[in-house]
Amino acid sequence: MKQKVDPLTKFFVKLLGNEKHQKFTIPVFAIVLSLIVGAVVIAFLGKNPLSAYWNLLQGSGIAPKARYAGGKSMLTDFFSFMNYWTPMIFASLSVAVALKAGLFNIGISGQMLTAGFITTVMIGYSTLSAPIAKPLVIMIGLIAGGLVGGLIGVLKYKFNINEVVSSIMLNYIAEYIIAFFINTKYVDPVSRQSKAVSDASRLTLMNVQIGDLKFEIPLGIILAILVAFFIRFLFEKTTIGYELKAVGANGKAALYAGINVGKNVILAMTISGALAGIAGVTYYMGYFASIQPKVLSSTGFDAIAVSLLGNSNPIGILFSSFLITVIGKGSTYMSSTAGLDAEIASVITGLILLFSACGAFIQYKVKRGKDRIEDAAKQAGNGKEAK
Amino acid sequence: MNKVIIDGLSFALPLFIMAIGGIYSERSGITNLALEGLQGAGAFVGALVAILLMNKLGPDSQIPYYVAMVCAMIGGMLYSLLHAVLCVKFKADQVISGVVINILAMALTTFLTKSINRTVFGAPSDKFVLGVSARWTVPGISKIPVLGAVFTNIYPFEVIIIVIAAIAWYLLYRTKFGLHLRACGDNPHAVDAAGIDVAKVRFKAVMMSGALSGLAGMAFAYSISANYSSSIYVGYGYLAIAALIFGNWKIMPTLGACLLFGLAKSGGYQIVQAAGMPSSYSDLVMILPYVLTLLLLVFFSKHNNAPRALGEIYDKGKR
Repeated sequence: MKQKVDPLTKFFVKLLGNEKHQKFTIPVFAIVLSLIVGAVVIAFLGKNPLSAYWNLLQGSGIAPKARYAGGKSMLTDFFSFMNYWTPMIFASLSVAVALKAGLFNIGISGQMLTAGFITTVMIGYSTLSAPIAKPLVIMIGLIAGGLVGGLIGVLKYKFNINEVVSSIMLNYIAEYIIAFFINTKYVDPVSRQSKAVSDASRLTLMNVQIGDLKFEIPLGIILAILVAFFIRFLFEKTTIGYELKAVGANGKAALYAGINVGKNVILAMTISGALAGIAGVTYYMGYFASIQPKVLSSTGFDAIAVSLLGNSNPIGILFSSFLITVIGKGSTYMSSTAGLDAEIASVITGLILLFSACGAFIQYKVKRGKDRIEDAAKQAGNGKEAK
Repeated sequence: MNKVIIDGLSFALPLFIMAIGGIYSERSGITNLALEGLQGAGAFVGALVAILLMNKLGPDSQIPYYVAMVCAMIGGMLYSLLHAVLCVKFKADQVISGVVINILAMALTTFLTKSINRTVFGAPSDKFVLGVSARWTVPGISKIPVLGAVFTNIYPFEVIIIVIAAIAWYLLYRTKFGLHLRACGDNPHAVDAAGIDVAKVRFKAVMMSGALSGLAGMAFAYSISANYSSSIYVGYGYLAIAALIFGNWKIMPTLGACLLFGLAKSGGYQIVQAAGMPSSYSDLVMILPYVLTLLLLVFFSKHNNAPRALGEIYDKGKR
């Protein structure tokens, strides 16, 4: 019996079949798929999807806008894009570290908020000078986030509490307690947010005049890229990273091999929390200078999309976080120019998440298709021999 | 005191029906962190239908209320298909799928609420105003001290929920389908060997959880805020999961957990009001259910026994 392979399968196998490149091709495929679905939604709303996507790039300082206000240019837009990108990189690395160890840290927003609030109160309202204040902000943010993350790890290991449930609970607890303190002690009566932190403690240099342009310079971006490479080094070249990965791949096997699973669960969550803490300080004491009570940042949730999309690979994350940040940052400009609701950006991000979650299935389908093509080729070969 | 019971029940019962949905899904072996998204998506559909009907029938009609409940169940069920397809057919990681579904639900419903308000109703608003539902008081019994509060100012959905919960209990513990479902969560291979389609049972279980969550979401929308907006995503789905873990994946103990959450929440509010504290103190009270959840989990998580095949992708070839 002769097997037939439809041309569509052939096309996809050719496109995605190379296993070496699948790490790269499947996420790209997921992105393209979600952009197409997003485009259909935009078209359905009666707008031009291509110009909407172009607006996203313009809003992020990657494509030139039609006109700029005084002191602004594409370059200053790109710097302000990087200002928003920095916390996203840290948050996504935080998701990735937990995922590698088989844990799911969905409490990043809460950890960011906790770190941001503690540093705001301790350093942001102090009179310390910049060279002392800025490193302290990062250190304290790191410790605060790490402690919250570590707590989730302890709850998981000692009390068998699912980390997703406990971190969500901690998110809400942090959100409400911090809202309580801001509203009773630190509120700015005009903005209804916490009072702005001092410029000396802020991790973004605001309104730096270069020529006739005004820049926002995020100091954290360099650290973020360095940390991404450090995490890669940690997982690929050190015993600690190897043990974390072993626990994530198969806890029972790791235990049998003499790895202390409990220690590694707590360690992974502590590192993950610490990274979320730095994300928090670059967000609340860099990109912003104040905290809006009772609001969790969407960065912590978008970071999950970024990390899944980047296969939890630190370098992959640099790319995927870039993309998701373009969608998030550019959406404001898009909504004002194209008249689309900015919320469409989170819909597209959600779609990317959805299709990335199907990555394993796509891989499986492609493998099946490939096998079928090979079978068909073999049968064709046999047929020739028989003649 | 009466107010504590009345408010407590109106919060605990929706939580309970959502937790039952979670129990169905998890007893069949599918981890369901998607409850949060399912209730929001279901309530979105219900609320949309309710306002469309309200515009037709006028604000006094009670029909939209009941139609909304049914539509919310259907909406939740349809949206839960996504989780079912991802987990059962696409063999995705169930935890990740659940979280993805929640994030997507939040993004989609917020976006759609805004666009529909603008394009269909011509108003730039991010919520659907539902109006307040009728409340019933049973004459006679409601006069009994303390116990009478249970029969005072009941939302109609509370009665619906109790009836459905009873049916759900019967279905899970006293029917063949329920037996198969529970077996799927403990030993899917045995179920398969007995000639029953594991995937089909799990599909139905997840859809059931979607329907029940949709009902719960609609009930929250009607009772807590009298409108539908993105503020429906305040983590009650996760509270329901905590309740069912605390209830050891059994329906009756889960009811106990839900009542505890409900009474803790309404009790806290009453204390803040009775003590005449400023409103910012209510933020501190808001954390009570969450803190309680964590504490309870600390004490009870160790001794509970989750369904044995929970979260495992069913693979026929694996032994």
